Amino acid sequence: MSWLRVDGIVSGYGDMEVLHGVDLTVGAGEIVTIVGPNGAGKSTLMKTVFGLLKPTAGSVSLADVDITGMAPDRIVRCGLAYVPQVENVFPSLTVEENLRMGAFILAGDLQPRFERVYELFPVLRTRRKACVGKMSGGERQMVAMGRALMLDPELIMLDEPSAALAPGLAAAIFECISTIHEAGVAVLIVEQNARASLALSDRGYVLAGGLKRFENTGPALLANEHVGRLYLGG
Amino acid sequence: MDLLARIPQLLVYGIVSGSILSLGGIGVSLTYSILGFSNFAHGDTMALGAYLALALLPAMASLGIGGASLGPLSFGWDFVMALLFAVVLTSLAIVLLDRLLFRRLRTAHRITLMIATVGVALALRNALQFVWGPQPHYYSMTIQRAVQVPALGIRIKPDQVFIIAAAVLLTVLLHLFLRYTKLGKAMRAMSDNAALARVTGINTERVILWTWILGASLAAVAGILTGLENKFITPELGWQMLLSIFAAVILGGIGSPYGAIVGGLVVGISEEVSTAFLSTGYKPAVAFGILILMLLIRPTGLLGRRT
Amino acid sequence: MELFIGVVNYLVFFAITAGTYGVLSLGLNLQWGYTGLFNIGVAGFYAVGAYAAALVSGPPPDVWDGRLIGGFELPFLVGLVAAAVVAGVVALVIGLPTLRLRADYLAIATIGIAETIRLVLKNESWLTNGVWGLQQIPSPLYGPIHRGAMAFIASHPDLPEWVQRLISKAYNGFYLALVLLVLCVLYFFMRRLVHSPWGRVLKAIREEEDAAAMSGKNVFSYKLQALVLGAMIMGIGGALYAHFVRFISPNSFEPLYGTFIVWVMLILGGTGNNKGAILGAFTVWGIWTATDFVTGHLLLSATQAAALRIIVIGLLLEVVILIRPQGLLPETPRRRRSSLQKEAGEAQPPPPP
Repeated sequence: MSWLRVDGIVSGYGDMEVLHGVDLTVGAGEIVTIVGPNGAGKSTLMKTVFGLLKPTAGSVSLADVDITGMAPDRIVRCGLAYVPQVENVFPSLTVEENLRMGAFILAGDLQPRFERVYELFPVLRTRRKACVGKMSGGERQMVAMGRALMLDPELIMLDEPSAALAPGLAAAIFECISTIHEAGVAVLIVEQNARASLALSDRGYVLAGGLKRFENTGPALLANEHVGRLYLGG
Repeated sequence: MDLLARIPQLLVYGIVSGSILSLGGIGVSLTYSILGFSNFAHGDTMALGAYLALALLPAMASLGIGGASLGPLSFGWDFVMALLFAVVLTSLAIVLLDRLLFRRLRTAHRITLMIATVGVALALRNALQFVWGPQPHYYSMTIQRAVQVPALGIRIKPDQVFIIAAAVLLTVLLHLFLRYTKLGKAMRAMSDNAALARVTGINTERVILWTWILGASLAAVAGILTGLENKFITPELGWQMLLSIFAAVILGGIGSPYGAIVGGLVVGISEEVSTAFLSTGYKPAVAFGILILMLLIRPTGLLGRRT
Repeated sequence: MELFIGVVNYLVFFAITAGTYGVLSLGLNLQWGYTGLFNIGVAGFYAVGAYAAALVSGPPPDVWDGRLIGGFELPFLVGLVAAAVVAGVVALVIGLPTLRLRADYLAIATIGIAETIRLVLKNESWLTNGVWGLQQIPSPLYGPIHRGAMAFIASHPDLPEWVQRLISKAYNGFYLALVLLVLCVLYFFMRRLVHSPWGRVLKAIREEEDAAAMSGKNVFSYKLQALVLGAMIMGIGGALYAHFVRFISPNSFEPLYGTFIVWVMLILGGTGNNKGAILGAFTVWGIWTATDFVTGHLLLSATQAAALRIIVIGLLLEVVILIRPQGLLPETPRRRRSSLQKEAGEAQPPPPP
């Protein structure tokens, strides 16, 4: 059973249509990667799923509940979390405050949630009172992901999590993604660094020119020479 | 020589008026940073607060609240209660305004919103004039005696000390609110990045509601304190101060409440000290001069960040 | 007949004033409608134009005047040109430091300018005669036309009385024709501008400033030109006003109300549409005068009536913004993607709202 289902989404910005009818599913606890060239509509797809853009056609549903065009702050309550590619933290807040904002809709004792995030990203524990704006790119990415995890989402969407990170850090991020996945959280990733991402994905999609071109398991896509040449940049 | 001797006294006046400007400016900064537009109706919100307090003053007597002066201050508990009620009413009015107008313009272009606030400013000011007329209304007819402080070479009235103390207190409370409460952090978060705040699940409408409430409350206090300091109010009170308030906000960095505080004091002091050299008629020009200077040299202001 | 003459007279006055506002609206349309410059100092340029025309064409200072210079008694057209030039220069001086700023900063700066202009007009009596204003501003060709009309009446004694009365007011009719002529000239001038390459760059700047800049256009220079040109048009409006009412003082140019009503006119009429600007001027002026009638019948004091009328205009603005922000005559629809950006190739999508 697929937890996230995207059917025939047509979406874009103003008059400019970017997605011309895209289908996608993510099963419970799956890691799915979307790869493709720049301008293919990968980020647009994520934003449409999360309600930041309203599609002109098509539907999005979570666990068979239609969420098409629903406001983001309601979608968050349905168990979907989103980490944008850029500007994904609050720079003038501390690490702790950023995480706290992630759990804004919750009351009560949040300490266990903080603990889980700190376990995943130990460096955040030591720097939890630090102002995020002053932290490095890698640390900020961790804060961004940690923030999304505070709500214990069923599915977390990551838009180019390793972008602008040095290879060592990128590898560390992918490790974390693995760990999150092991804990049972489904992950939908948009990635330029396609090889690393597909390597740990259950399934993958290739998106180009606003349409789905290929769909297969992660390893199969990696092994596909055609895909590799055209979209994975060798 | 005479000029220099007057400076300390002018500094005092500057700190008093600067405190009021700070309180007014914080609201403008908050609205800008969280809602994304400059609210030109803020001055008239101050005037609204001032008039409401005046109107409620007699009602306090009928509630049995005494009017006897509190210590060296020129006013009694009736004034304090009138102030509190006026603050609440002003906030309610502004929240209503948001519901009726600004809420439907959440996605409108920033400039459209600013034009709308100019319309609100005019309507509000003229509504005050409609009800109370253009002539001055007096908070009090008695002239308070200033107290000599020989050590500093100044004279200061107890009411003026109250104004400064009130501004300091409210500023500290605001700081504590922004720093330590969940809503305060959410406000800072929204000020950083409103889109991300939505993505995070922050209830942005609730944050906006409290932004209006805070801003309007501080504006009302600022307006009432202006009445206390000048002894009288007119419907033009707010608009006349708007230029100075914006100068303060831009000097401090539009979008930074702390900047508004610094800016308010600098503008207030500059305006007062300028009277030693220029005619008082040109005080607004001083604020304007500061404004232009900042915009040319450092548009983000002293404490501002990225736009 | 009395009524007829009264109505005709009133309509002429109405049309002259509305036409003058139409000129102001056109100027604002150039600055805001086409170029996206948020100018809240309209009344300032208008005032400067009026004063320039009055000083150039008006009589020299007399005994009761506080002035030291001015009053060159030059012809109307010279005054008109002077008004445009002076307003343009003021706009240049303002624009140079402020146009690089963001919209809200420009707005605040223009409020400050308008206030400063008013302060100067009030205080610098050696030039402007301060609050006592400038009197006896001559109306162009008043002498010849009025005398001609009276002579015509005298030489045709058998004309009905009401016709005689109408003809005696012929000058106002002439002035109306003058205003409408200026309005038409400016309208066609604006139309030419819009369809010219220069005009297209302005629109590109308004919609996507970064794209326009990337195409190598000197955005700042274009904005400055639009500001100055728009201000010159407003200055002409000021001159038309001054020559009609023949007396101006700093209080005639209440900065906010003068500016605000022009904004409402443009927004109601249709931002970015020249016909809309003129339509808006006549419509809003019509509503404004209607409020005069209505409040005259309510039991209100003079200041209350004035306040109520402004509240009505304020509410009108808010209603238009909420219900039909594009105005009565929307700008002719263009594709959202500007032509400049199409040339730049597949653009990055703008960030979501």
